[in-house]
Amino acid sequence: MFGQVLATEFMKLHRAKATWATLAVLALMPLGIALFMWIVREPGRAAQLGLLGTKASLAGLEATWPQYFYMLTLVFGVGGMLLLAFIVAYLFGREYRDATAKNMLALPVARHWFAVAKLLVAAAWWMALIVIVLVEAMAIGLAMGLPGFSAELAATGIANVLLAATISLLLAPVVAWIAVWSRGEVAPIAFSLVMLALGNLFGKTGWAEWFPYSIVPLLIGMVADPVGTLPAGSYVVLAATFAAGTGATILQLRFADNSQ
Amino acid sequence: MPDTTVSTRALVKRYRDVTAVDSLNLDVRRGEIYGFLGRNGAGKTTTIRMLLGLIRPSGGEVTVLGRRIVPGETGVFSRVGFLVETATAYPHLTVRENLDIQRRLTGSPPRSVAESIALLRLDPYADRRAGQLSLGNKQRLALARALLHSPELLVLDEPANGLDPAGIVQIRELLRSLADGRGVTVFMSSHILAEVAHLADRIGIVHDGRLIEESSRDELAAKARAFATDAYTPEEREQALLTLDLERYFLARTGDGPKGGAASTGGDS
Repeated sequence: MFGQVLATEFMKLHRAKATWATLAVLALMPLGIALFMWIVREPGRAAQLGLLGTKASLAGLEATWPQYFYMLTLVFGVGGMLLLAFIVAYLFGREYRDATAKNMLALPVARHWFAVAKLLVAAAWWMALIVIVLVEAMAIGLAMGLPGFSAELAATGIANVLLAATISLLLAPVVAWIAVWSRGEVAPIAFSLVMLALGNLFGKTGWAEWFPYSIVPLLIGMVADPVGTLPAGSYVVLAATFAAGTGATILQLRFADNSQ
Repeated sequence: MPDTTVSTRALVKRYRDVTAVDSLNLDVRRGEIYGFLGRNGAGKTTTIRMLLGLIRPSGGEVTVLGRRIVPGETGVFSRVGFLVETATAYPHLTVRENLDIQRRLTGSPPRSVAESIALLRLDPYADRRAGQLSLGNKQRLALARALLHSPELLVLDEPANGLDPAGIVQIRELLRSLADGRGVTVFMSSHILAEVAHLADRIGIVHDGRLIEESSRDELAAKARAFATDAYTPEEREQALLTLDLERYFLARTGDGPKGGAASTGGDS
C-alpha cells in the first residue's frame, strides 16, 4: 500500500505550478552569482553598473572557481533552506488549504504513510532541483572560463552543496509538523524565516553546532570561517531534530482533531 | 454479521465551553437510509467527523461496521464511502485523476474510475480540472469518490449541497437504488426536512448536540401532519402543498421529473 501512497503523492504534483516555480527560483541563483562574477571580472563594469556594481565590489568577490563554489554553497545553503521549507509547507499545507485533508485522513491507509510519502516526495523534489541546478551552475562556470578549476575543488564544492542540501532535508520534518499543526502553509514558512534569523544570531554566540538552524550557516561560513567538517555533536542534533519532527508530524496526523 | 452498521454510545464532543455533541446514542441498521436532521450548528458534521475518526470524542464511543473507531485506526474505512461538509478535490487535477487517486488508495480495480464517472454522469467533465467544475459537479465528483470502492456504508454530510433539482432527484434515486439493490447503508445528514423526508427510512432529529427525536419516515410524516393541522391555518397548509407541487412541476418541465397532468399542459413548450 505504501507504494500506492507514494505514487499518489507524486500524482498530486502533476500540473502543480509550485514545481516549476521552485526550479525557476533555484535556477536563478547560479545566474545571479555568475552576474556578480562577470561584473567584478572587469573593474570598469562595476562603475558602469552603479548600485549593482557597487554591491558586487562590496561583496569582495573574485571571479574564480573557489569563490564561485563558496557563493554557490552560501546561496544553496540559506536560500535552499527557505525553498525547501516552501516545498514542505506546500506538500503538507495545501491539503488543508484545499480542504482535502479530511478526504485523505479517512481513507483506509495508515496515516503515517502519508507523512512518510510526502517527506520522500519533498526529498526527491529537492534533490532533483539540486542536481539540475548544480549541472546548470557547472555549465555556467565553465562557459564563463573562470580561473582556478580543479577536480578536487569541484568535488569539495559539490560535496558541500550536497551536505548543506541534506542538512536542510533533516530540518524539513519540523516544517511539516508546523504545517499540519497550523493546517496551512503560512506558519511553516514564517517559522523557517524566524529560525533562519535565529540561526544566524546563535551562530555568533559560539553555540552554532548545537542549534539545528545554525549548522548550515556554520558549515558554509556565514557566521564564522567555514568549518571543514561538522562537529559530531551537530550530527546528533540534526538526527534528533529529524526524528522529533517526523514523530511529531505522524502523531499530529494520527491523534489530533482534524476538524478543517 | 451485526445488524447495526453505525452505533454511538453516550457520544460527547466538547470544544472548551461548547458541547457540540451531547450524550448521543444512535443505531443505524444495515441497509437502511438514516436521515440525520438538524439545523446548522446542531452537531451533525461533528458527529460525522467522529464516525470517520477525524476528530476524537470527548466521551463515549463510536462503532462502525462492528469495529470501534479509534484515532488513527483506518482499516474499516475500506468499507465506508463518505462526503464531509463541502465537496473538495485536488483543484489542479482532472475529475479522472482525482478519482484515480481514490482508486489507488482504496485498492479498487482500474475500471472503477470509469464506472463511478458514468454513475454520477460526469462523462462530459471527466478530463476537466476539478477547480473548474461548478459547485454541483464538484458535489457529483465527491459522491463519485465516495462510491468508487463500492462501500457497504455511505456517510454523507449534506449530499444535496449545490445540486440543482434534477441533480437532487438523481442522487436521491441513486441512493435509494444502492440501499434497495445492494444493501448499502446510508447515513446522511441534512438541514432540509424535504430532502430527508423524500429519502430516509428513519429520521433522527438532532438539536444542540442531542438526539431529540427518532422515528420512521411515516411516523414523522404523521406527526408533522398532526402538527400542521394544529399549528397552521388551512391557507398556510395549502401554501405548503403548493410548494411541493411546484417542485414536481419544475422537475417535469425541465425533463427530469415524473410527467404529471399539470406539467403536460404548459403553454410555452
